Amino acid sequence: MLNLIYKELRLAAHPNLFIFTLLGALVLVPAYPYGMVFIFGCLGPYITFMYGRETNDIYYTSLMPVKKRDTVKAKCLLVILSQMTQLIISLPFAFLRLRILAEGNPAGIEANIAYYGFGFLIYGIFNLILLTEFFKTGYKVGKAFIMAIIPASIGVLIMEVMVHFPAFKWLDSVEPALMLKQLPILVVGIIFYILSMLVAYRVASNSFQKVDL
Amino acid sequence: MNVLSVKGLTKSYPNFLLDDVSFHLPQGKIMGLIGKNGAGKSTTLKSILNLVNPDGGSIQIFGKEFRENEESCKQDIGVVLGGIDFYNHKRLRDITAVTRRFYKNWDDKAYQSYMDAFSLNPHKRVKELSTGMKVKYMLALALSHKAKLLILDEPTSGLDPVSRDDILELFKHLVKEEGISILFSTHITSDLEKCADYISYIKDGKLIRSAEKSAFIKSFHHLKKPGERELTLEDIMVRTERSGFNVKSNL
Repeated sequence: MLNLIYKELRLAAHPNLFIFTLLGALVLVPAYPYGMVFIFGCLGPYITFMYGRETNDIYYTSLMPVKKRDTVKAKCLLVILSQMTQLIISLPFAFLRLRILAEGNPAGIEANIAYYGFGFLIYGIFNLILLTEFFKTGYKVGKAFIMAIIPASIGVLIMEVMVHFPAFKWLDSVEPALMLKQLPILVVGIIFYILSMLVAYRVASNSFQKVDL
Repeated sequence: MNVLSVKGLTKSYPNFLLDDVSFHLPQGKIMGLIGKNGAGKSTTLKSILNLVNPDGGSIQIFGKEFRENEESCKQDIGVVLGGIDFYNHKRLRDITAVTRRFYKNWDDKAYQSYMDAFSLNPHKRVKELSTGMKVKYMLALALSHKAKLLILDEPTSGLDPVSRDDILELFKHLVKEEGISILFSTHITSDLEKCADYISYIKDGKLIRSAEKSAFIKSFHHLKKPGERELTLEDIMVRTERSGFNVKSNL
């Protein structure tokens, strides 16, 4: 497994993936729709998948002494690694903004617990569609991306707009008591993310077994 | 002992059928897979390697069912696919650094000696290499993990005559000294006259014959013209392929 990740990072990943991963730091921008961080987290894998098609990455992996389904596993691991790293990178900045930007984010949702919960949900939806659709062919990445980014963007939009309604104001808070109320969203998000990756790997690897390279 | 046994390999595409292909490659031998463009050579090799998902048939490598032992079998196989470049913008040393980690028997000394022998510079990027140099690099990778079976798709196409001869000599050396077995597809049949022990001939997705080279040539004696001494593999291919081709009817 480590060899697969090493291969992904050293040969398969497009430099943009690393840049977009670093963009977790955007939660420090005073007024910004932080949902964009998740959009960047979706764009990174897409560009890498496209780059992989140009570099015959899938051929290379399939010729290594691994099972055919490990080619899918390598990509799933890379997507998880980049998105989780991005969220971890964003954490210290989310804490920092509590101290230096206490007045909140007028553009959309705060970088709070609900925000991270929505992030897991959005990533889960995107990954599930992208991976299962892409590995039906191993090359139609544009179609897979469009199918995946539309629901992911709608998710981002709902998150950003919802917090402007008084009834959902509690979702925009960084007050400890209200963040505790947001905790179930994070828990559901994490569970959904894990399940969606497991399903994505299973379905995508089964489809990829039938793909003719 | 057979290093590779292909039995009843079948794969259907909308406009092409690889039909019930069976052959065996004994240990320490070179088999040439011949056929014209589009005959099914690459599909056969890709089906053997599970890159293409066959509709039927079984592949046994080193006596084991390949599908069920894909990881362990691939440890002992070296593959070169002509015409497919990996990671054009990466340097050879980066690709090697990743590849070596996957193989238990990786031999740095052997790798270095092949890189030197093939005059390959590890700091060069793949896109800076000529077609022949790319094949040589892929061969260097394949040979550095002590592969017992080499599966090569058009390895000599795109190489100059000197490099081609060098590589054929290398094949003969590998077979003689190290007991490696080689299956390679080519449409340059003169390469096979020089080094192959066995020939398998595919035409329109069907295996016409697979036999030891001299027996293979003998079995096509009916194609000989009066007074002709010996048929070459090229004669056999050209005359077999032309026989179903009536040019006059189109005039």
